[in-house]
Amino acid sequence: MSERRPYRRPMPPNWWAHAPYRAYTARELSGVAVAIYGAVLFAGLISLWRGPDSYDAYLRFLRSPVSLLLHALLLAAVLYHVVTWFQTLPKTMPKLILDGKQVPPQKITQIATLAAGACSLALLLFTLWVAR
Amino acid sequence: MPEAAIAEKTVELRILRYRPASDDRPSFGSFEVPYAEDMSVLQALQTVKDTLDGTLSFRWSCRMAVCGSCGMMINGKPRLACNTFLRNLPPGPITIEPLNNFPIERDLVVTVGDFVKKIESIYPYIIPKEPKTIADGPYLQTPAQLAAYESFSDCINCMLCYAACPQFGENPDFIGPGAMALLQRYNGDSRDGGRQKRLDTIHGEDGVWSCTAVGICSEVCPKHVDPANAVNQNKTNSAFDFFLRFLRKEGAR
Repeated sequence: MSERRPYRRPMPPNWWAHAPYRAYTARELSGVAVAIYGAVLFAGLISLWRGPDSYDAYLRFLRSPVSLLLHALLLAAVLYHVVTWFQTLPKTMPKLILDGKQVPPQKITQIATLAAGACSLALLLFTLWVAR
Repeated sequence: MPEAAIAEKTVELRILRYRPASDDRPSFGSFEVPYAEDMSVLQALQTVKDTLDGTLSFRWSCRMAVCGSCGMMINGKPRLACNTFLRNLPPGPITIEPLNNFPIERDLVVTVGDFVKKIESIYPYIIPKEPKTIADGPYLQTPAQLAAYESFSDCINCMLCYAACPQFGENPDFIGPGAMALLQRYNGDSRDGGRQKRLDTIHGEDGVWSCTAVGICSEVCPKHVDPANAVNQNKTNSAFDFFLRFLRKEGAR
């Protein structure tokens, strides 16, 4: 009657493809887009170092339809990564206590996202001003 | 409305059954119980046990989301059976399984021994910073100091967070969200001095570092404990402790 034979159900190997883990998987994968974008910039740095011909070829690549499409996709993925990254931010830091009360995580996400947006805008405006 | 019309409405429960003495592996059994507007999944299970099959096994106690006994997978999500109401579930059969990621003892009852050991391993009690006698008076705490750990003290050990955690599924030795919430409850307490002792138990892959910040543990928590926060802020603490361990005074622990 009291036979003990615990049964362990196997974990599906593709758990990351199912709800509710899909959002997590998408967030982590969008990090790859950040790496690819970094690689594109790094390639520009290397061609700059290799000389004018190499840099011109790099600029030609940037203007090509393939590159424009790639950059549109990368931008979308990076924006998704930014939004979800700041949603995760409050989970990774100690509770913020102000006036004896916990600052709600949503508030931290909001402020951090706005700050990142403001920094990006400032950088964009600065770049446009330098390139004018 | 005539009473017969109310009694006619029924709901189908698909319950994963496992009887270790006779079954090789778990399989679903189907039960039809009368539906009531105010019925919880726990009450539906009790109706099955009382009227249809007395051998159905499940844990329950308080019926009001305090004891943490009746955690199970309801339509694939880890939830407390007592505060999940039939009226809030989509129409059609309700699938009920034991909590994911735990070995099944029998029907909806899972093994909790490992979880209890994990809780014991993190020194789940206050280790006073400075010992005081009763004559010295109580340990005082400001509202801000209370707020720093209060939510973590709301954990009811229902293990829903473990059932939601794919990394615990992959590595059963991972200390997991629930025990980390309890650890942070004490490490975040201004009266406590056991921080170093507890940090020493959570380094490495079976400590905090199995966590990849999936975050579903906090979403399924019925008490809004936010265990994901407890795990992830302690990754920082664990990393600092690793790099600053040479600066620590010997015997400080």
